[in-house]
Amino acid sequence: MNTASGALAKAKAGASQPSENTTKRKRGIFQKELQHMMYGFGDDPNPLPETVALVEDIVVEYVTDFAHKAQEIGSKRGKLSVEDFLYLVRKDPPKLNRCKELLSMQEELKQARKAFDVDEEKLAASLD
Amino acid sequence: MNRYESFRRSGFQKATMKRLLTSVTGSQKISMPMTIVMSGIAKMFVGELIETARIVMAERNESGPIRPCHIREAYRRLKLEGKVPKRTVPRLFR
Repeated sequence: MNTASGALAKAKAGASQPSENTTKRKRGIFQKELQHMMYGFGDDPNPLPETVALVEDIVVEYVTDFAHKAQEIGSKRGKLSVEDFLYLVRKDPPKLNRCKELLSMQEELKQARKAFDVDEEKLAASLD
Repeated sequence: MNRYESFRRSGFQKATMKRLLTSVTGSQKISMPMTIVMSGIAKMFVGELIETARIVMAERNESGPIRPCHIREAYRRLKLEGKVPKRTVPRLFR
């Protein structure tokens, strides 16, 4: 039976997983962002602290299990890559589409920054 | 408008997510695309949790802030739908 304290104790133990670092997880690493997120998705403007704590525990467990699975997939090819993450959501169209959108936005921003840097250099060169 | 603003702007801190991913995967180098993708997926998962919790509350004719029992029921339902990754290594000392 899942309880908030039980899940937190498990996360802090860490040693139950073979390849994990045994680092203790501080409480509330996502607390502030989660409060805004939960409100945005339909909770009260001020979510209950115990609810936020439980959601954080669940999210950390979700990310942990997700990353482990991605690692299992990636290990067959050697290094872990973004492709392994995308493979895991291949059957979840909303998530997959969102990932593709985020990746293409990030690429666009990267290109825009690079173009900006190049222009700055040209400008500096022409002024010398 | 306020709720929509929170919905759009909220997100996991890149640094924190990267730190979590690094500690979970051990020595793997975690790239920025990986962090961004994981944050996006996690945010959508939170959305599924909260929306399902609200459905649970409506079924029970309850109102007000979401309580942990609603989240637990929502989590249970999401697991049944296969939306939660299953651990291939069983958790010991649960």
